[in-house]
Amino acid sequence: MSTIGIIANPASGKDIRRLVSHATVVDNNEKVNIVKRIILAAQGAGVTGVLVMPDTFMIGYKAAEDLKGSKELHIPVEDLDMRIRGSMEDTVTATRLMEERVVRCIIALGGDGTSRAVAKAITCTPLISISTGTNNVYPEMLEGTVVGMAAAAISTKVCDMGETCRRDKRIEIYKDGKMVDIALVDCVISRQTYIGSKAIWNPADIQRVIVSIAHPASIGFSTIVGVKQIVKEEDDFGASINVNTGDNELVAPIAAGTMKEIQVDEPVIHPLEEMFSMTMGYKGIMALDGERELPFKKGDTFQFKITRDGPYRVNIKRTIESAQINGFFNR
Amino acid sequence: MDLTNEKIVEMYKVMKRIREFETNASRLFAEGSIPGFVHLYLGEEAVATGVCSSMNEDDYITSTHRGHGHIIAKGGETKYMMAELFGKETGYCKGKGGSMHIADATKGILGANGIVGAGHNIAVGAGLSAKYRESGQVVACFFGDGSTNQGTFHESINLASIWKLPVVFVCENNLYGISMSQARHQAIQDVADRAVAYNIPGIVVDGNDIFAVYEAATEAVARARSGQGPTLIECKTYRHKGHFEGDPTTYRPSDEVQEWMAKDPLPRAVAYLMDNEIISEEELRKIDAEIVKEIEEAIKFAEDSPVPSLESIVQDIYTDIVEEVR
Amino acid sequence: MKTMSMMEAIREAMNKRMREDKNVLLFGEDVGAFGGCFGVSAGMFDEFGPERVRDTPISEGVIIGTAVGAAATGLRPIAELMFIDFATVGADQLVNQAAKMRYMFGGKITLPMVVRLPLGAGISAAAQHSQSLEAWMAHIPGLKVVYPSTPADAYGLLLQSIDDENPVIFLEHKVLYGASGEVDENMAPIRFGVGDVKREGSDVTIVATGKMVHEALAAAEKLSEEGIEAEVFDPRTLYPFDKEGLLKSLEKTNKVVIATEENKRGSFAGEISAIIAEDGFDYLDGPVLRVCAMNTPVPFSPVLEQYYIPSADDIVKAVKKMF
Repeated sequence: MSTIGIIANPASGKDIRRLVSHATVVDNNEKVNIVKRIILAAQGAGVTGVLVMPDTFMIGYKAAEDLKGSKELHIPVEDLDMRIRGSMEDTVTATRLMEERVVRCIIALGGDGTSRAVAKAITCTPLISISTGTNNVYPEMLEGTVVGMAAAAISTKVCDMGETCRRDKRIEIYKDGKMVDIALVDCVISRQTYIGSKAIWNPADIQRVIVSIAHPASIGFSTIVGVKQIVKEEDDFGASINVNTGDNELVAPIAAGTMKEIQVDEPVIHPLEEMFSMTMGYKGIMALDGERELPFKKGDTFQFKITRDGPYRVNIKRTIESAQINGFFNR
Repeated sequence: MDLTNEKIVEMYKVMKRIREFETNASRLFAEGSIPGFVHLYLGEEAVATGVCSSMNEDDYITSTHRGHGHIIAKGGETKYMMAELFGKETGYCKGKGGSMHIADATKGILGANGIVGAGHNIAVGAGLSAKYRESGQVVACFFGDGSTNQGTFHESINLASIWKLPVVFVCENNLYGISMSQARHQAIQDVADRAVAYNIPGIVVDGNDIFAVYEAATEAVARARSGQGPTLIECKTYRHKGHFEGDPTTYRPSDEVQEWMAKDPLPRAVAYLMDNEIISEEELRKIDAEIVKEIEEAIKFAEDSPVPSLESIVQDIYTDIVEEVR
Repeated sequence: MKTMSMMEAIREAMNKRMREDKNVLLFGEDVGAFGGCFGVSAGMFDEFGPERVRDTPISEGVIIGTAVGAAATGLRPIAELMFIDFATVGADQLVNQAAKMRYMFGGKITLPMVVRLPLGAGISAAAQHSQSLEAWMAHIPGLKVVYPSTPADAYGLLLQSIDDENPVIFLEHKVLYGASGEVDENMAPIRFGVGDVKREGSDVTIVATGKMVHEALAAAEKLSEEGIEAEVFDPRTLYPFDKEGLLKSLEKTNKVVIATEENKRGSFAGEISAIIAEDGFDYLDGPVLRVCAMNTPVPFSPVLEQYYIPSADDIVKAVKKMF
């Protein structure tokens, strides 16, 4: 059996970034269409079954029903048996259940937050993250058909897994010796005091940015590091930088369409597995991969560690190239 | 975002005032003191409060059949509201409107409205007026998910978009149009998706989180005030009670109700006040007691007020013509 | 005095008030540079610009609703719908909002707004562009209904409509747009509820509105040749209605024919006859007769349409029944 899992976040592509940074609204019927294209390509390339996360809009179910209606669906598409909470927990639960059912590839549609939720539960299942938003660093803008083919190549083991999947880094956040949360790309220490509309877009509130990767050809707060110091996926280190202090004046694309001038210190490199600590001098919130998530109080101490315990991410192009060489497209 | 502790406490007071007003309205309706229909805002307090707290006193709102919360949040006085619910002469509308028609032009409240979807058009008119007069005023147009299937929703957003009017369209998506669930009444889950068709920003926020609503509204109001045109904010929320008082709500699964009761905006606001030590428990108790007293006094005012004179039936139709009584 | 068409008189009244008061503005479908479907607002866009003479999308509900919201917040809007038939599309805003808001809000809001509605048959526009729906409008408490028949009345009544603090329905018969007459541009606004005797006579009163006033005048000339002197009474506003003026005429003539272009069933002509029955019965020498359109939709074919519309001859015939 070569089964794949699809997680589509019905809430992505609609947050306040549409208002503050000209981001694009991604409607859920378009997500249904993307899922349909993934399923059809995967089916056409040898996948024998699909598990989907049930959600409040029933994206997977609607995709499957439409394809049944047009008589294009020939493989079972099954909704996971789980309670829908309408929150990030759904993605975490679905990922865990998919791993229990031994899917060979998980495809996540959403933003950075969705990928982060998957990363909380995923162990060694290859992950493809499709961006259904504008402001994303971790997920990629990918065509569903291509994703479906790549997932099929992975799940039918036609490609060379060692070459086509790479384990990503992540930022682990500890309090009192216990890991309390993770971020895939960036952790932003902010003076904001409430979660509110989640997204974070005002650099004036920010004290420090911790990153696992950073590149100027990107968007979001990780670019504050990236415009000064590139940190690549393959580098065995992360970095952090203090903001609104120091001698460097930079301009960085902190959100879609948003170039901001920012004052920063010199970036600090953090080798993998190095634990570093920070005691908060005020009440605030940590934004993880762009979303306010973790409130803290004055005097709270947190430890941070960059590790290579993130998801195994599928390199789409290399996967399909490898598959092609191995006769994946021969009939 | 510059949200002071004082402002946060003020916002809590408004939410609590709505909660207390509506809880009492529910009781008084059941006891027979309030005639007609009553549609309660219980559970949706964070939406009206978050939006109106981001506006100025001379800004406008248009409201709905579920309007008590909007009116309180925009500064309406509870005693005149309660007197109107009782059908008394001292009510906001002299007993001629009732629950669904409370207005106070002096506070920019252009009226609750008994017609689903009617406020949209009026909001656009007020927006045109504000823009034309260069007054700097902004209009918040409140409406439910049910109204987004009315033509008025589309017509008005279209017009506001092409004329770049200072209107913030606030959808209170409480998941039901009367008894019909959103999944049954439209093929989308997020009304905000419809913003795309009118080339305006559309966003979804947690309507039970006062901060999320406030933040989105503040951005949208600033955008409107600076001449960039309308925004559609969809607030995901839930009504604690039925569509109207007396609605048996058999159409809502109980686990859904429980799930949403757990997201009640009031306890969330209280938790924030406590966790962040913005006020002490004692201060909170004092605030709550003052609001309870205010509403008790409003009820007393309503009870003690006279009913309208029969002659008043023919007044207030026109500014200048008084019809004959039979 | 100046000779004007009805259309010019309407335009000049709007121009006058717009020159005097910045808060008066006009909007509707194609009223801008295009000049309006019938050309009523020709040239106004050039004079007042796009902020004050605004093209709207084809959205009748929001046209009327925008007038309501604007009137509630300090402007004095004039909204034009292309045809009264389209008021059905925006009926909520007219009937449930504009008409009711002041009352529902306990008199605490004023809505100084005018909705201009071209109406009437005679141009082969068929059943959705030709109706006479004035009875619907006059039925709704909260609206005032104005229906001029001459350029001078249109001018004076429109000035008053714009000045009025209440929602006013201003009816314009399409066929009368070209009718010309003398207009005193310095005239005072014509008060509502004051009818006008368009022709004096002693033998019969013909109550007529809009284009039927002209049919009644033609009928009166024919009747005069036969020795019957008809008085033609034009109420000019349906609400408020000049009951005293009508009864005064009736006291003199003791006979009455009511001529309107409406479908007879449920017509405002019926309301006028009821007023006469209740308050003028003692003046009557005979039955109240109504000359209205037949109870059919307005037909398209010119032959049928002309048959549909009541004519001077129909009025003559009705009057002669009483002699």
